Amino acid sequence: MTENKATERADRSERPDRGEFQGRGGNRNRRFVSRPKFCQFCTDKNLVIDYKNVELMSRFINETGKIRPRRQTGTCAKHQREVALAVKNARHIALLPFEGDFWADNN
Amino acid sequence: MHKYELIYILQADLDEATLDAAVETIETLIKSNQGEITKTERWGKRKLAYPIRKTNEGYYVLVNFDYAPENVAALKRTMGFNEQILRTSILRVD
Repeated sequence: MTENKATERADRSERPDRGEFQGRGGNRNRRFVSRPKFCQFCTDKNLVIDYKNVELMSRFINETGKIRPRRQTGTCAKHQREVALAVKNARHIALLPFEGDFWADNN
Repeated sequence: MHKYELIYILQADLDEATLDAAVETIETLIKSNQGEITKTERWGKRKLAYPIRKTNEGYYVLVNFDYAPENVAALKRTMGFNEQILRTSILRVD
């Protein structure tokens, strides 16, 4: 039973990182795409989740402005909740977009 | 008294003197309600991630201060009346 669960999880981790390189839709020939294995906030205690830090927070939204899922960013559940809140706070004061391309006219 | 963090966005097309006056107004507003300002930081003109009131730029000011929780709503409301302010955000930091 537990073994079954473990294989399921392994399967999930092999899902391609769609936000980065892959197109949308089902990709039948799944290849392993490396992704961070450890939560970067757990690993680096000096890295503080701060909604004012645009450079940091922009790493957690994709090109449409959505909050990137944990399976892409590798953050743990606890820190993902904080990240989500920080992104929402940053959106309110127009540091991050609610939707649309942020980088196109900023760079 | 709790520690709060206030960020507000002023219109970017105001001249220096008007900006200074606006920042001053907010500071006196906080102080007049027994608030204690610990830090003020001007980020200056920044591009907004999305247009607010049809403008694409804003002048950001960050204020850290101690304030009585029951007065925060009133502060936010008063700042809303100021037409030079595009957006405010008051968050507790402690």
